[in-house]
Amino acid sequence: MVGSQEIDGSAANGGTQRTRTIVVAGQSSNRTREVLRTLRGFSTVIWPKSLEAALEWTGAADVACLVIADDLREEPVDEFLREARELHRNLPIFVITDPDDVAEAVSAMRNGATAVIEIPPSYAALREEIARALQ
Amino acid sequence: MKDLPQTVFVVDDDDAVRDSLRLLLKSAGLSCESYASGPEFLTAYDPSQPGCLVLDVRMPGMSGLEMQHELNLRGATIPVIFITGHGDIPMAVEAMQHGAFDFLQKPFRDQELLDRVQRALARDTEYRARLRHTDRIRERLATLSPREREVLDLVTQGKANKMVAGDLGVSQRTVEIHRAHVMQKMEAGSLAELVRMMMAVAPRP
Repeated sequence: MVGSQEIDGSAANGGTQRTRTIVVAGQSSNRTREVLRTLRGFSTVIWPKSLEAALEWTGAADVACLVIADDLREEPVDEFLREARELHRNLPIFVITDPDDVAEAVSAMRNGATAVIEIPPSYAALREEIARALQ
Repeated sequence: MKDLPQTVFVVDDDDAVRDSLRLLLKSAGLSCESYASGPEFLTAYDPSQPGCLVLDVRMPGMSGLEMQHELNLRGATIPVIFITGHGDIPMAVEAMQHGAFDFLQKPFRDQELLDRVQRALARDTEYRARLRHTDRIRERLATLSPREREVLDLVTQGKANKMVAGDLGVSQRTVEIHRAHVMQKMEAGSLAELVRMMMAVAPRP
């Protein structure tokens, strides 16, 4: 996994269940990383720089969802979302964004995001969204 | 069948907002009907009327989001543009997750709203055309005999006449006759067209 970083929440799961992977595009804030680390049953792969690499990684069988982190706002996120949605029709995709940017949230939803979560993301919000999307 | 003219429905409890939106929409040559509340609109709304809906989020009684929920329960497909002066991300996400066409925060530029209304009207036109197309296909499907329907299902799965004959336990000649009837009744010029028709009416996952 050249260019990626991995954090593992599987220990929190007690090792009794198969873990699924959350792919994160973007460096991601410490708070986001901390929240992701605490999600039981998931390990997380972060692609800090390459949206394309993150997109390729989402093709893996055990990927639970894709999270687009808040530090990618300068990137062509809408284009990336459309591409991701075209490639992975049923994959839950979450965008983490600035709380004031309603227009960006609407645009992300229109382009294929499953949900948009405000920074700093709370454990409850992320867990609820992921659980809902995986149902 | 010619479409009915499109109407922009405006639902907002604020008289001044309704008036200014009506003036704006009329100045752009659009037909507009306005309502002061969700229940008032729901009572008057005829789903066969093409158009789009500009809907305030925050209203006394039934909110815009509650009205969207009610429209969804009724199976309405009218594109909804939410407008609000107090929007936040969870509200926008909820509206979009439930099928809103757009979500616009006040204050907005006149042209910004007009652009979105035009896009919503275009979407409604496109959707209704697609619906008419699939309705026509379903009408044709209803004219097929049970055996013709079986042949249709198998040939559109890519099976050759010989395989279809084997599956159905009939002669290849019989399959050819049924297949010719299917093509005629479905008004299909080719197998590819027939497959496209079946894909158009297939239930979506």
